[in-house]
Amino acid sequence: MRFGLSRLSLLLLFPLFSLTGCEQPQVNFVFSEKTNELVPEAAKPVKEALVRQFGNPFELTQFEGLPTDFGDVEGSVKTVQASSGEEKLIRFQVEGLQDAYPKLLGLPLEWTSGKGQGQISRIKEYNYETGTIAVDKTADIDPQPGDTFLVECTRLQFGRDLYNRHCMHCHGMSGEGTGPTSRYLNPPPRDFRQGIYKYTSTKPTAKAQNADLERTVKEGIAGTYMPSFKLLTDDEVSAIVNYVVWLSIRGETEKKIVDELFFDYSKKVVAERTSEDGGESREDVMEELKEYMELDFPDTLEFATSSVAEAWEEANMEDAVVVPETPRVPDTPESRERGRKLYLGDKTKCATCHGPQGRGNGTATQDFWTNPATNEKYPNRGLHDIWGNQLPPRDLHRGIYRGGRRPIDVYRRMYSGIKGTPMPAFGGPLSDEELWDLVNYVMSLPYSSK
Amino acid sequence: MGKGWCLFFLFWPVAAVVSCAMAPMVGWSFPYDNAQAASNLGIRIDGLFYLILFVTAVVFVGTQAVLVYALWRGSSNRDERATYTHGNHKLELIWSIIPGVILLFLALYQMNLWADFRIKKYFPEAAVKAPIAEVTARQFEWRFRYPAIGKELQPKPQSDDLYSVNELHVPFGKPVMIQLRSEDVQHSFFLPALRIKQDALPGLQIPVWFEANKEGVYDLVCAELCGWGHYKMKAHVIVESEADYQNYLKNLTQQQFYDGLGKIAANENDSESEATEK
Ligand SMILES: [Cu+2]
Repeated sequence: MRFGLSRLSLLLLFPLFSLTGCEQPQVNFVFSEKTNELVPEAAKPVKEALVRQFGNPFELTQFEGLPTDFGDVEGSVKTVQASSGEEKLIRFQVEGLQDAYPKLLGLPLEWTSGKGQGQISRIKEYNYETGTIAVDKTADIDPQPGDTFLVECTRLQFGRDLYNRHCMHCHGMSGEGTGPTSRYLNPPPRDFRQGIYKYTSTKPTAKAQNADLERTVKEGIAGTYMPSFKLLTDDEVSAIVNYVVWLSIRGETEKKIVDELFFDYSKKVVAERTSEDGGESREDVMEELKEYMELDFPDTLEFATSSVAEAWEEANMEDAVVVPETPRVPDTPESRERGRKLYLGDKTKCATCHGPQGRGNGTATQDFWTNPATNEKYPNRGLHDIWGNQLPPRDLHRGIYRGGRRPIDVYRRMYSGIKGTPMPAFGGPLSDEELWDLVNYVMSLPYSSK
Repeated sequence: MGKGWCLFFLFWPVAAVVSCAMAPMVGWSFPYDNAQAASNLGIRIDGLFYLILFVTAVVFVGTQAVLVYALWRGSSNRDERATYTHGNHKLELIWSIIPGVILLFLALYQMNLWADFRIKKYFPEAAVKAPIAEVTARQFEWRFRYPAIGKELQPKPQSDDLYSVNELHVPFGKPVMIQLRSEDVQHSFFLPALRIKQDALPGLQIPVWFEANKEGVYDLVCAELCGWGHYKMKAHVIVESEADYQNYLKNLTQQQFYDGLGKIAANENDSESEATEK
């Protein structure tokens, strides 16, 4: 018995360890905490609406009016396989999908001619080699040779597959920023569902351009765990960004409709309303909720989606980009000195956060701040971002520029601020020359002797 | 023991020699279609590899031949008894001295190569004088810092340094040196096509030199298990002519000091490298 029973049992347990070690990632989109805080009667229709509009990671849904490249591919039925009576699927051979993405499983297929015209089937099986598709058998779906259809979301699916391979383990299946590795990272991976991205080329209130996100994917973010994905092709990067923006739109839509309902129908509010002090009966509240769901909810949903979509579209317009009116002021000692005075002055108050020496230790880091979302004080001293993370102001001596180290990048950080953080936009209060002086001063700090 | 066993033991050395000889033809040999190493030092390292392969092959085939011969004789001659020769002084000497000589020969033979590769004193002077870039490995990417055109790389970052990620450009036909660093854990700078490999250690700056001898895009991978994203830690080393390399630096400079106006506005959101490739 030199081998020992304990070792033997370890060996026997090995297959079990290896099975339990593999956490299966969540395969559905998750809903926000706030959604789950609604009373079930309100949460249910919200969740159903979201699944209807966006589907789930492995059953994507096309929804008109989004600034998303869904990627429709046309095809037609070549032959239909006779199926036995009990078979729940119809299989047919298709033409025209040869150049399409080889993995079409779970995608919607819209019939554009024949008996089922206008109907949408979900692809249950797809064999790229033989060009065979299987869909659910229903009374309306009766494919005949020659019938035409569109397969939707192939581009979105391409992006999703790349996202799941390269981004999901940090940013999570729904872009909620809580993938399996996220708990080990500081700063934590971004939650995309607010639709806010820190480093953009756009004006203070605008969203990010696709090109900004593509740049972030390719260059990575120095000083964080976001690495560079430069070895992906341009097409792959743009497909990933297309999907990430779509995830953002989904998250923002959810947030908007839940915000509407939260004030009246969160578990907490309903409990208050139906308590002795509140004086309403639960039936009354539910009746009111039912009425809202029937009359107003469709409009709320429509408005939420379209306003989010519009904001993304606007961000990608040319005039959304911040372009300085004057070229960079020459980087002279005089300009840096003017920048230093601005930095220390009341007009900018840079020193309050970044410190008089730019070491990131200004007085603001010692205060208790109020969370603008909840109006409560944060439990820790110092600044916070809208994702609730404590956020030390950058030490300007380190020479690490998360949003890019080109003068224009630093200019834009000052002009538009850093979105989602307390770094404000100085684009109005400061003139272009003043901004450039500040850029020159800040960019000289890592190389100054102080 | 039957003759079948003799054939069995004969089969393996033959199979080994045949498969080794075939390896380059079926792509089991060196990376990149078994091409010659893309650096002169690499070609010398390959030479060393082939020498060792030859020596081990001769020893392997020789010992196997003796084994097969002994088996064959034993199986065809039932009368002759084997003699037991434990502690034969002569034999012990022979099989200690011969491998000893071979190892000593290899050790001495490769010393120059090792010195040229690893000992800074023997590095090409031009390369040591002007390191082309600082390479910083970090989880999970490679970051590069070049000095400004016409300047020398300083140990500390300078205001006009040029930066890029996951794409290192070097000129071919001359020795170049990089300063290797790690920002977090242990990584390894591995250029398989050039047969260059050096660990990157936090807190150290390790000089590595190489001389690419032909143009091309080569993989730079991390050869140290440095974390979950280790397999993604891949970059390209782009070996190009001196003129193209200077051009790249010029474009990088332009990008680096871009102020949002001027002629590169059209592709400003492209990464640095692309702007130069277009
Ligand atoms: Cu590594």
